[in-house]
Amino acid sequence: MKIRITIFVLITAVIFIALTGASNDDGYGIFNPKPIELKIPVGWPKPTANIFANNKLTEEGFRLGKKLFYDGKLSKDGEVSCASCHQQFAAFATFDHDLSHGVNNTLSTRNAPALYNLAWKSNLHWDGGINHIEVQPLSPLTAPNEMGETLENVINKLKKDTSYKRMFKAAFGDAEINSQRMLKALAQFTGTLISANSKYDKVKRGEAVFTPFEEKGYMVFKSKCASCHQEPLFSDFSFRNNGLPLNRFNDIGRQKITRKSSDSLKFLVPSLRNAQLTFPYMHDGRIYSIPQVIEHYRSGISTEQPTLDSSLKNRIQLTNLEKNQLVYFIYTLTDSSFTKDTRYTPDGINSVFNPGFDKH
Amino acid sequence: MNSIFIKKYWFLWNSFAVSLIIMMIATSFTLNNVPGAANGTLKIRFINTANGKPVVLRDSVYSNVFGEQYQINKLKYYISNVSITNSNGKTNFSEDCHLIDAANEENIIEIPLQAGKYDKLKFLLGVDSIRNCSGAQTGALDPMNGMFWTWNSGYIMFKLEGNSTASTADLQRIEHHIGGYKGSDNVATVIQLDFNTAKNLEIKAGATTELVIETNLDNYWHGNAAIKIAELPMCMITGEPALKVAKNFTRLFSVKEIHQAP
Repeated sequence: MKIRITIFVLITAVIFIALTGASNDDGYGIFNPKPIELKIPVGWPKPTANIFANNKLTEEGFRLGKKLFYDGKLSKDGEVSCASCHQQFAAFATFDHDLSHGVNNTLSTRNAPALYNLAWKSNLHWDGGINHIEVQPLSPLTAPNEMGETLENVINKLKKDTSYKRMFKAAFGDAEINSQRMLKALAQFTGTLISANSKYDKVKRGEAVFTPFEEKGYMVFKSKCASCHQEPLFSDFSFRNNGLPLNRFNDIGRQKITRKSSDSLKFLVPSLRNAQLTFPYMHDGRIYSIPQVIEHYRSGISTEQPTLDSSLKNRIQLTNLEKNQLVYFIYTLTDSSFTKDTRYTPDGINSVFNPGFDKH
Repeated sequence: MNSIFIKKYWFLWNSFAVSLIIMMIATSFTLNNVPGAANGTLKIRFINTANGKPVVLRDSVYSNVFGEQYQINKLKYYISNVSITNSNGKTNFSEDCHLIDAANEENIIEIPLQAGKYDKLKFLLGVDSIRNCSGAQTGALDPMNGMFWTWNSGYIMFKLEGNSTASTADLQRIEHHIGGYKGSDNVATVIQLDFNTAKNLEIKAGATTELVIETNLDNYWHGNAAIKIAELPMCMITGEPALKVAKNFTRLFSVKEIHQAP
């Protein structure tokens, strides 16, 4: 009886493989995806939107996303990749650039935001115009002052590359290359960039202690900054006007998306994690250093703007000492294990240039 | 010899047959999930017209009710969530999304339906809000179709591009990208068409009935709202002007012909 059951199971299995396994035999390798998980750091809230609800995270999808992220093919001239403006050593912002370079010597009009912990961010871009991580790349891909390419050309270029066919097969089950799969793969890479191992995090986990100066800075932060730059993500992801005058591009921020005058000059509150690496600051990179940013909040805010955030009406009162303490606290948010993580570097490169600014 | 062979391997044959049946049932479940027995097909054909003529891109000059002359270079719109109700009040619903494009040789939506008489058709002109914020889509909703805003996420539900001597815009262009899915900005419009009872639409088993829907652009410019090219040559953001244009959407469509299955 036991043998009979075994034979029955075996025959069923053979027929099942014969019926379903045919698609595996197309010359582009096998489909055997290894699931991976979005690791939520201890003590963090659950991500607000489940960005992977319809995008099963796999090692193969992540690797494909990484290859796409580092590939200049996605741009018109073959030179500009996502990574051109989102550099790992700058926590995936553009190092030392107020604005980023696009194809044909063009410049963008906004500072490239750092990419990490995106699973907690439900609206992307400084004005929150993007409603899902998967559709975000469409903007830089097609903007004439960024990657300047059409989606159609991108897909056609990828289709001519056998290595992509193999990787799409490995990630999605067959070698078909389409925009949806490309965008889902990119989201698997960018959506799993987690930065949660700074000195601050180690202090929170009891693995390190702040210096007395950093500790004082943390106290200043908690009383003067934390209402917008909420822990542990260091942003509440709201849109606020922090009193910067309208810039030369007439960038009205959130108002462009909502068309409400009450949203004029409001921009997404950025996270302060890795701020040491993401200079210059603000939506147009107009402020070069962290002390200068703090000085803006202390003395620079244009208080006559009607949409100025109510918490900034009296600017932020800080002594020189508190200002310095705050700078040192912000330095504890630098996470070099993130900027050095070879999981995020292109395959075949085992180390990454890193200034190593961490306070450890 | 033969009987011994059969007897000896009886179990083997038996399990092979049982497995095959299980596989066939499993396969049939995945291939055919349309309930009901006798099925026919409804073929909905969309025909775009202006001034009583079929729309030909980059060719004919049409005029609207205000006497403004225009040419059409692009005409695309989404039809989704098609539901069709039979004479017993039973509704067949499909959440599929279709892109009607005047550049296509023909624009046809095929729906498998149970045999019977049908008297109501309802569909959404546009894309429902969920599909506007669910990430990357494929098929008709592939952003490659040029119907997705990259800077302010959401689908363009109706796109009309062309030229007009009445246009004050650069190169006398008309660019109407009508979209918006959030709350009061939503331009997706439910269209309901009742069939004339005299020529009730009938689906017959194994046969195809064709329903021809005319999209009459003459009604795009007036009816519930006056849309003058001179005043609105460009409309590429969500909100007020787009909502005004969308007011005329309900008047765009009518049943032109029904070709009953023989």
